Amino acid sequence: MTVREIVKRFTFIEIFQGMSLTLRRLFSHAVTIQYPKERRHIAPGFRGQHALAKNQAGQAKCVGCGLCATICPSQCIHISRAKGQVDKYEIDILRCIYCGFCVEACPYGAIVLTENYEYSDYKKENIYMKKDRLLSNWDKYMPGKKGEEYFKKFWRPMSDDFGTPTGQAVWRGKKQ
Amino acid sequence: MIQKEAEKIFETRELNVNMGPQHPATHGVLRLVLDIDGETIVKVTPYVGYLHRGIEKLGESLSYFQALPLTDRMDYVSAMSNNIGYCVAVEKLFGIEVPERAKFIRTIVGEMSRISNHLLWLATHALDIGAMTVFLYCFREREWILDLFEMICGARLTVTYPRVGGVRNDVPQEFLESLWKFTDEFPSRILEYETLIDQNRIWLQRTVGIGVISAEEAVSWGMTGPTLRGSGVPYDIRKHMPYDAYDKVDFEVPIGTAGDTYDRYRCRMLEMRQSNNIIRQCIGKLPPGPVMAEDPKFTLPPKDKMMMITHPTKEVAYFIEEKACKGCGMCMRACPAKAISGEKKKPHKIDQAFCLQCATCFAACKFKSMKIIPGGKGLSEEKLAELAAGPMPEEIAKAAEHLVRQFEFIKKGPKAPEGELYVATEVPKGELGFYFVSDGSGKPFRMRLRAPSFIHAGCLPRLCVGHLVADVIAAIGTIDIVLGECDR
Repeated sequence: MTVREIVKRFTFIEIFQGMSLTLRRLFSHAVTIQYPKERRHIAPGFRGQHALAKNQAGQAKCVGCGLCATICPSQCIHISRAKGQVDKYEIDILRCIYCGFCVEACPYGAIVLTENYEYSDYKKENIYMKKDRLLSNWDKYMPGKKGEEYFKKFWRPMSDDFGTPTGQAVWRGKKQ
Repeated sequence: MIQKEAEKIFETRELNVNMGPQHPATHGVLRLVLDIDGETIVKVTPYVGYLHRGIEKLGESLSYFQALPLTDRMDYVSAMSNNIGYCVAVEKLFGIEVPERAKFIRTIVGEMSRISNHLLWLATHALDIGAMTVFLYCFREREWILDLFEMICGARLTVTYPRVGGVRNDVPQEFLESLWKFTDEFPSRILEYETLIDQNRIWLQRTVGIGVISAEEAVSWGMTGPTLRGSGVPYDIRKHMPYDAYDKVDFEVPIGTAGDTYDRYRCRMLEMRQSNNIIRQCIGKLPPGPVMAEDPKFTLPPKDKMMMITHPTKEVAYFIEEKACKGCGMCMRACPAKAISGEKKKPHKIDQAFCLQCATCFAACKFKSMKIIPGGKGLSEEKLAELAAGPMPEEIAKAAEHLVRQFEFIKKGPKAPEGELYVATEVPKGELGFYFVSDGSGKPFRMRLRAPSFIHAGCLPRLCVGHLVADVIAAIGTIDIVLGECDR
């Protein structure tokens, strides 16, 4: 055992180093947030609760082709049609895995995933999304221009993804 | 004589103890049956399968595109790496060349997921052994990475961000700025963790000389990743069989010497620094260009190209031209609204009152007898026949091509060439291998996964025997298993 090791062993130097670090942390600001009172910032394009998009006239964009139900890996979308319209459009939220494939599969831009993630309930029926609820989600969480912006940014792939659009993100060096 | 008597009185027996499946230190639902002699482990039998969801079997009933989210749920701690592994394997099967920019983005996010995985590993490993502060500090940095994931793909854990042929969407400028800031700060944060535990006498006593495995033995047990490199074997798939952009960046493969728990810890700490380095290089080199491979067979068509038909203001109508219709009945069977009727080998007809204008029939028709009439919704039958007489406008025909591709891609899935292949990628846990047997259809005939956690769980008896009960916890921590991947 060298002198250095002996000094280390009897002075508890590494313990005090660690302790001083935790002591310094004690006086810095907290990184945690107090959830129901404070909420964290949700990035746009968050994959949360579903909504059926409406067009400018306020009608549902969905035509009922059933591509979303076909691509869904967990088979949670159920559609049925009546005379010339979509009769039933239901999403079994408890089955959904939020992969966002339904958004990608839809050629009509009729379904979106909104930023809402707080919709737990005591009853199973309340989490089984019917068409009216999905349509009202659109007004609630995608008001005004927000829906349009969503489709511009997150309804992929677009032609831009196969080419080189202007203003593509590249590293321009550290900001001074 | 007295000694014999005493042995008879104080007769000792091996004790059989169940550890898990509901045990916080087993990192999931791993059940270990321990045979202990006093405090010493005599035998360990791991039982796995509590989290079995049949991902391999499920993969056989989903198309190559659809099965991607399943891989998120294997190693949910580093979902991004799993996704990349799957995409790299399927791309090799299809022979798709991924654009340069997508490769660099994938390398960036892959290394981010490696850092976040190692942070969670360090946090839980330290917590198991008794260091609480490290746990909290690690989660602080991990949160930053998860927020960055949320920024690019809208999800924090089950990301589903890479796609076969590229990535889902391009990264925004703020992402690069924030990530650069992270890589600036992160090395000093690693130093913080090391201040807390690296030389700590309790940490050293709990890890040095525990779970020692030699290089030869580690190789023959099938260990991979940092668990193997701790024993001094410099085997890293990123170096030996580079995929994505790993051949364009400089990095070292840190290795240990003794092959004990402490060396494996050091390996992972050094690996985090290397990952940080790789991310910085990739950000600097990120080239402009496409993020999806232009491969009509495999990638979804661009959405804006179909807008001529699918835009809500274009109230299109579909009409069957009587002359061209052969009466095969494909459209009738495809129509979800049952709006098409007709007898066999006679021209079919669309009942416009029932039609949803969904284009399914258009995609199903093989004889090009369908006509799309923009603005034709609600018009009478005669008027539609009049409008349909001429050829379709060119832009509508072009949009229709993309629309048909979209329908065919989703309904049938892209067809893979026949054959079989095994592709391995380096995930934070070790070597993740995908083995596909393809019979030429849109779904894999067999999808087999080589999950590193499963193989490492098998090594547990070798690592634990001869040590004390408390060291089982250290051994579980050091091999870094996630039961979601182990049981699949």
